Amino acid sequence: MRIWQSMVGFIAAAVLALPAWADSTQGISATTITIGNLGPFSGPASVFTPLNYGAEAYLRYINAQGGVNGRKFVTVFADSSCNEAKGIAAAKKLVDEDKVFMIMGNPCSGVAMAIKPMLVQEGVPWMGASANPKISSPASPGIFHTVYPGSEAGRAMASFAISKPGTTKVALVMHSDDWAHGYCDPAADYVKSHGGQIVATTTLEHGATDATAQALQVKASGAQAVMGCLYQPELVVLLRDMQKYQVNTIVLAALGADFDQVLAAFPSHDWLKERFFQPYQFKARLGIGPLKKFHDIFVKYLDKNELPKSGEPTNFYYYGVPVGIVAVEAFRRAGPEPTRESWEKAVESLKDFDTGVLADTETFAPDNHVGVHRMYAVGLDAQGNETVYKSWGDPLPNAP
Amino acid sequence: MWSLLPQLVVSGISTGMLYALIALSMTILYRATTVVNFGHGDMVAAGAYALFVFGVGFGLPFVVALALAVAVLFLAGVAVQRWLMQPIMAGPHLSLAIMALAAGYALRGALRLEWGNETINLTRPYPQDAYMLGNVVITTDDLVISGFVLLLLAALFILLQVTPLGKVIQATFQSQRGAALVGINVPAFQAAMWGLGAALGAVGGVLLSMITPLTPDLGQWTLIQGFAAMTLGGFGSLGGAVVGGIVLGITEKLLGFYVNTVFVEVTGYLVPIVVLLLRPQGLFGRRMIVRV
Repeated sequence: MRIWQSMVGFIAAAVLALPAWADSTQGISATTITIGNLGPFSGPASVFTPLNYGAEAYLRYINAQGGVNGRKFVTVFADSSCNEAKGIAAAKKLVDEDKVFMIMGNPCSGVAMAIKPMLVQEGVPWMGASANPKISSPASPGIFHTVYPGSEAGRAMASFAISKPGTTKVALVMHSDDWAHGYCDPAADYVKSHGGQIVATTTLEHGATDATAQALQVKASGAQAVMGCLYQPELVVLLRDMQKYQVNTIVLAALGADFDQVLAAFPSHDWLKERFFQPYQFKARLGIGPLKKFHDIFVKYLDKNELPKSGEPTNFYYYGVPVGIVAVEAFRRAGPEPTRESWEKAVESLKDFDTGVLADTETFAPDNHVGVHRMYAVGLDAQGNETVYKSWGDPLPNAP
Repeated sequence: MWSLLPQLVVSGISTGMLYALIALSMTILYRATTVVNFGHGDMVAAGAYALFVFGVGFGLPFVVALALAVAVLFLAGVAVQRWLMQPIMAGPHLSLAIMALAAGYALRGALRLEWGNETINLTRPYPQDAYMLGNVVITTDDLVISGFVLLLLAALFILLQVTPLGKVIQATFQSQRGAALVGINVPAFQAAMWGLGAALGAVGGVLLSMITPLTPDLGQWTLIQGFAAMTLGGFGSLGGAVVGGIVLGITEKLLGFYVNTVFVEVTGYLVPIVVLLLRPQGLFGRRMIVRV
């Protein structure tokens, strides 16, 4: 009896220890490629779903052109609510039941980190817009950042702030979660490594309706710049209270907020001129010049529930697009019979690949799964015009 | 650092006024029905969205949109009592609390369906100016919110302490069966009180939407603060709810500034723990001894 028990136990352990033998052509049929689009379609983080829709719009656009190598994209949406447990369940369903080739979208860092071990184990590629740099660094098989992780954006925030002459004292106002640390920790490291100092670190939690204590701490600290690693509602609350208490330092905000929507929260932009900035991900201003094409794609291929209820497609729509562009380009390069291995090799073969959207070109390698690094900053100049800057006082000359 | 103390106190009072209004609307409902409405925060958010729909969607003037938002939330409160609470009123208290929580979640879900992927910024119907009182900044927001809440508080105190309605509330709070025996239509009265509580919550939501962007989760934070203020003041005490709200507002500012900004959020959770352990009846509640 004990021998039988031992044998059963040994076989069970051996089966569990085996890597999952995922079919490397799962999700590929003669005419379709099935993609999982994972995002916070419900819950408080659903403001980030334009990142999912931006990628989806591009896939629909490609479908309208005939697809890639005779195959059209079929998207299965799954809701993570930006909740780790729900995200794991949604990702498992995409992989095990919907049999997707890969998962894209996924703006939530917590969910991305939670599903990463399962995806790596199963060999399912991930190409998303989450901020946490630990998702793609160090490089893991099939896991790619085609947009800027928080570390790049955090460094861009700090680099722009201290490019203002005389700026050495920086304060951090941040949520206490992984997402905010993904921006503010690299920003703080950059400031310190360039001779600056962090003079105050304060938290402002999700849902806060007042930032008096934070604004006054910034004031008391003598900070010359603030790194606001905050989601949009709390960033607006902070800016309003900084304005109220005349804390007249510059503010660099993380990419949890949409620049234009933040401006829209203020009836007058006077106080924001040359004061409120964000890292800028794009090669031109939204909706014009090279980005006009993508504006038209959004308007044509997204339905009214996927577009903003009013106004033009916002920053997050454009920021979602590179995920779709790089994924499609890799399918093109992987040839008529793509597998997960050939698709991943195709991504890693991209060098200086211009998405037509981002400020930087995409370059990957087997040991580098973060495609883009260089960013600009966007803010209002002294006249109140939206301006893209390379550094303080140095606007991008050819930005339309 | 201490030069900022007056500013923190003034800001704390302004914030505390909002907490007081929310605590007061929860207290009124508690006194009339003995139910703590754990879905109240979502009614606060729904009130702000109702203002947005009438004011921006239909383009109505602010005062008209405000009146309609309050009316809609009054009806929503009545509907919750009539169709969700009344059928289980004879059940255990826990069921009532869970039903209130579920109703709030349902309301939040409905708001998320329509506005979940956007934040909305409402325009104030008044200019946003700042005034200096020595070193203390006072904005129009502070004055409008505090003034509005004070007016409402005065009206409510008169309504509840001076008029016969206040006695009806007190009678129903002490004994629903006794109140019914003297001819009070308890279910109808409770429905009206649910309506009043929701309408006051709507006013809180409208005032809140003047100073913060609107999201469907706006009410979560306010529920915690309102509950903490209610606990601090003493369950069922109207004056306690007001004082509790203001003390809470000032405390979170002082702890947040002088100790750590983490306390701005944590204070709302700490206060009920400390109060329930050290003085369960709160600042103004009465200790009750029940013989069994």
